[in-house]
Amino acid sequence: MRFALRLAPLLAIALVFGIAAGHDWAGPAALARALGGADDLRSRLLLEWRLPRVLAAGLVGAMLGLGGAIFQGVFRNPLAEPYLLGSAGGAAIGATLALLVPLGMPSALALGGLSFAGAWGATLLVLAVARGSGAADAAGLLLAGVAVAAMLGAVRSLLMLALSDETVSLQVVLSWTLGGIQTPTWTGLALLAGLAAAALAASLPLARGLDLLGLGDDQARAFGLDADRFVRRAILVGAAVVALAVAYGGLVAFVGLIAPHVARWSSGPRHRAVLPLSAAIGAILVIVCDGLARAMLPPAEIPLGLITAAAGGPFFLVLLRRRLRS
Amino acid sequence: MSHLAAEGLVVTAGERRLLDGVSLRLEPGALVGLIGPNGAGKTTLLRCLAGLARPDAGTVALDGTALATLPVSERGRRIGYLPQSFQLAWDYTVREVVALGASRASGAGARIPAVLRAHDLTALADRPWSGVSGGERARTLLAATLVAEPAVLLADEPGASLDIGRRLDLMRRLRAYAREHVAVVVLHDIEQAVRDCDRLVLMDGGRVILDGPAPALAGSPEIDRIFGVRFARTPIDSEADALLAVSSP
Repeated sequence: MRFALRLAPLLAIALVFGIAAGHDWAGPAALARALGGADDLRSRLLLEWRLPRVLAAGLVGAMLGLGGAIFQGVFRNPLAEPYLLGSAGGAAIGATLALLVPLGMPSALALGGLSFAGAWGATLLVLAVARGSGAADAAGLLLAGVAVAAMLGAVRSLLMLALSDETVSLQVVLSWTLGGIQTPTWTGLALLAGLAAAALAASLPLARGLDLLGLGDDQARAFGLDADRFVRRAILVGAAVVALAVAYGGLVAFVGLIAPHVARWSSGPRHRAVLPLSAAIGAILVIVCDGLARAMLPPAEIPLGLITAAAGGPFFLVLLRRRLRS
Repeated sequence: MSHLAAEGLVVTAGERRLLDGVSLRLEPGALVGLIGPNGAGKTTLLRCLAGLARPDAGTVALDGTALATLPVSERGRRIGYLPQSFQLAWDYTVREVVALGASRASGAGARIPAVLRAHDLTALADRPWSGVSGGERARTLLAATLVAEPAVLLADEPGASLDIGRRLDLMRRLRAYAREHVAVVVLHDIEQAVRDCDRLVLMDGGRVILDGPAPALAGSPEIDRIFGVRFARTPIDSEADALLAVSSP
């Protein structure tokens, strides 16, 4: 709780940083003018162009953090990440189709809708494959995830080769896989916020089951948890949460891995704290990284996934080292 | 008071029969010791009684209701299962583990402080799992299991990681619990089983070979035969807590 209170000012600072950061940094005066409702072009750009993007970045980060916490809890493995069960490969196929095939609908809708469907569909496929082969435990699911991800990767490469007739379109697909937040319309943002709130509401009741799973399958069952059914439910919710993040932000690496760790270090392992804190930490991380993506190499924008991976890679190695040492 | 009954339990693993037609009726009032050599089927039987393993044939019923038809949450509340050991994925504190045990029964949360006190865990309550010893972990697990006051307690070698003082203390607690609840404990230490249990069930090859009051069963030569060991049967000083065999000079 104390840590949650400390996060609120951090989140506020990240938001201000996000709004200020860009190839033209907005100073305190410009920010104050914009927040005060001034009608000049700069203020309107900050409020109507940058603010929705910063808020979308926060929501995408929150979903990644939340999804990561759910998947780490389900697999009882601090190295699990939210794209583990095929959602990255599935989303990439959806995005490839949306970007390379004229579908006769607004491109943002097609990209979001198809990548969501791809991410969620791929996880459903992994669950079905694992159940079909009689290996519905964590190890079986992971193996099924690896196999499905390999197949989806092949399908996606084939689609890219077959559908693109120029290098430009391949670049568009590649840049999507590196992650990035687009400025949404206010309607789009409201939809994302509503879905994110629903995702959080569906995730919080998982806390007790995730806690019990941490005692091991057997003990969780002995304490009255229908472990198999719970794991399926948690994966479906987690996959939907991650698919939502992917639909609005592409494949943003490492945030889903890092956020739950920071949450556990600060509040202990109980999931009723870890789930919301992971969301808050994920939001802060993506808002800051998205700001850096805009501001580091003006006027160009660095893909968001590159920044999160560049920061997350070393973190991951340190983590691995600590784990191996203990 | 509840009772637990197993009828014709068969569990197979490939060609092997881990349980081969086990029937058992368990009532409150007697601490039941489950003994037998390695591979006799003790743990398999205990897991079937707890509803954690499903028999290939036969049923386990709690107060006449088959475990298979009981909701998992209700089974978890009414049957407490204490494994030999378990691996935590996260570094919960002692209090958190007990609270997770309490989360399976409404109202059990209020008992947490008393249960921590009763198991000498109050001073350790906020220590992480990585910072407590094997014996303290065993006590924590027992507290987490008993905090929900299950009608049935099934314990698999709960004293394996404890020193003799703690082990005797644990057996006293189990015996006290057995007065009003069904309590079954798997034991490898025959001496302890004979001394601390009221009733013994001797298993071998997936079957129940002997089932009866501990003192009577202790005299049976079947025990020597099944374990392949010649036991000396010695009356002991009733003031003593444990037996220490020394060779004569």
